[in-house]
Amino acid sequence: MNVFKKFTVLTLATMFVITSAFAGSAAAAGDTLKGKITINGSTALLPLTLQAAKEFQKLHPKVSFAASGKGSVTGPQAVKKGIADIGACDWDASTDVPGFKAFEGQVANKVAVIPFATVVNKNVGVDNLTTEQLKGIYSGKITNWKDVGGADEDIVVITRAFGSGTRVNYQAKALGGGDIVKKSKNYKEVGSSGDMKTAVATTPNSIGYIDLVYVSGDIKAVKFNGVEATAENVINGKYKIWSYGYYMTKGQPTGEVKAFIEYIQNKKFQTTTAKKMKFIPLSAMK
Amino acid sequence: MHTPISEQASQSSILGDVTSKSKFNRAARVRFTNRLFQSYFLFSILALCFVLALVIVFIAKTGFLTFETVSFKEFFLSFNWTPEEEHYGAAAFIVNTIILTGLTLLISVPISIAIAIFNAEIAPAWFRSFIRPVLDLLVGIPSIVYGYLGLTVLIPFLREWTGEGLADGIFAAALVLSLMILPTISRISDDAITAVPKKYREAAYALGSTRLQVILKVIVPAASRGIMTAVILGMTRAIGETMAVVMVIGNTAQLATTLFTPTSVLTSNIVMQISNVEFESTWNYALHMMAFLLLAISMILILIIRFIRAKGGAQA
Repeated sequence: MNVFKKFTVLTLATMFVITSAFAGSAAAAGDTLKGKITINGSTALLPLTLQAAKEFQKLHPKVSFAASGKGSVTGPQAVKKGIADIGACDWDASTDVPGFKAFEGQVANKVAVIPFATVVNKNVGVDNLTTEQLKGIYSGKITNWKDVGGADEDIVVITRAFGSGTRVNYQAKALGGGDIVKKSKNYKEVGSSGDMKTAVATTPNSIGYIDLVYVSGDIKAVKFNGVEATAENVINGKYKIWSYGYYMTKGQPTGEVKAFIEYIQNKKFQTTTAKKMKFIPLSAMK
Repeated sequence: MHTPISEQASQSSILGDVTSKSKFNRAARVRFTNRLFQSYFLFSILALCFVLALVIVFIAKTGFLTFETVSFKEFFLSFNWTPEEEHYGAAAFIVNTIILTGLTLLISVPISIAIAIFNAEIAPAWFRSFIRPVLDLLVGIPSIVYGYLGLTVLIPFLREWTGEGLADGIFAAALVLSLMILPTISRISDDAITAVPKKYREAAYALGSTRLQVILKVIVPAASRGIMTAVILGMTRAIGETMAVVMVIGNTAQLATTLFTPTSVLTSNIVMQISNVEFESTWNYALHMMAFLLLAISMILILIIRFIRAKGGAQA
């Protein structure tokens, strides 16, 4: 009990220091915050959301959370319908992106940096691809690895289903807005990042794309225009395939929702928890 | 509910006998409990019917909104499904679903009926009592497990065997589904064959039939309605199966021109896209329409089962 009390005092104290340093208005609210925050949307951001909610609840025990993850687009949709206070989305849903119109009246709050990587099966010898080569591969013009400096094998394209946040970002950043064209052979769509990893890992000569955090073991990240996909290269601006993760809110956030978003955006959370979960701290980006 | 009890009470007071009084009280309690349970059972079945009706109405209502923007002709006859460009032709999925189900039955029915015949007619008792629980166990394996095995074991094998780059497609899905519905079909056929009266066999043997003749000419025809039921139940499972199919079919909206073309069926397309569409869009409505089609197909199949059962109840 004693230890717990000490801990609470300590965390409250730190919270005050943090909030007063970064957000004057939130500090005034202090621990009088209460209510329920409902968060829907992107599965990519869900682990971060859950962890942040857990930490936030220690500071404000009267605030409760209901978080769930599905496709990115369900986030801003739920906010629009008034089901959720926060809609997690892998793209800025207040603007138009390929396939999805802007959600009017919603504000995008950046909460994380998500790097993506082009990945290939272990057996692929190629370790660098340019924008043009990727465009060729995904539009179906390049169908053999030998055309991009590899062995004489057919390229198996693995892609996320239309509407995936990863696909939206990859198309915009890696393919320069180029198309992903359906083919009758050597083309497969998968439903989630986990499926993408399994599919690329088990299919020889395959190419796909995935959140950088998923890259390990059986799949290999290739360089993009000669730049390796690492957190450092994202921070120093050399590696271009990344995006912000957003919390969409109806108008500017207020009350406990505002406090929560500020808690996530806070440098301390970004450089400790978010970094541990392999997101790049917002503060590191220029 | 109160009236019968008070009636009973007044009746018993007129009689004034201690034993008959307790007897009548007991009768009243029984009647009360009966009433209570009757209404509980009735409530249960009505609640189920209500939910079922709600599901059908909701899916149909949302599904038919499709036809506000898409013509009947386009939805059922066009093979072009590119919702991002406003093309909502579901014909490819419908045809693929039919091909997949057909191929699955083609593979699984002969094998599962052979298993059923072996089990019911040929196998010794100890083997039978071993294989039946095994089949029951197989029925209960979650489909995702079959799908995962398909993805990690079957697909690499097919890839090597055919030399295809991907090997996902109708054939892989049909193999996985066959494995899934095989125990269902063979267990139910097994029961149907076992239920054939012993006198049929004895009569056939007495007339000098060989064992093969008895099985093929007497037992299987006698159990045919039960076997049909088994096949249709397997078929409904195959049509509705989603997770196992999604993992091995390739999920590409196009007609399956070869056995190894990455393709998509009604169920796999719904599950792949439903979480990525906007609520109030033709795309969402079209997916609901596809769900409604699945529901309609299952219902028709179940009606067929009832029809077969009703006609041949005495035999199977």
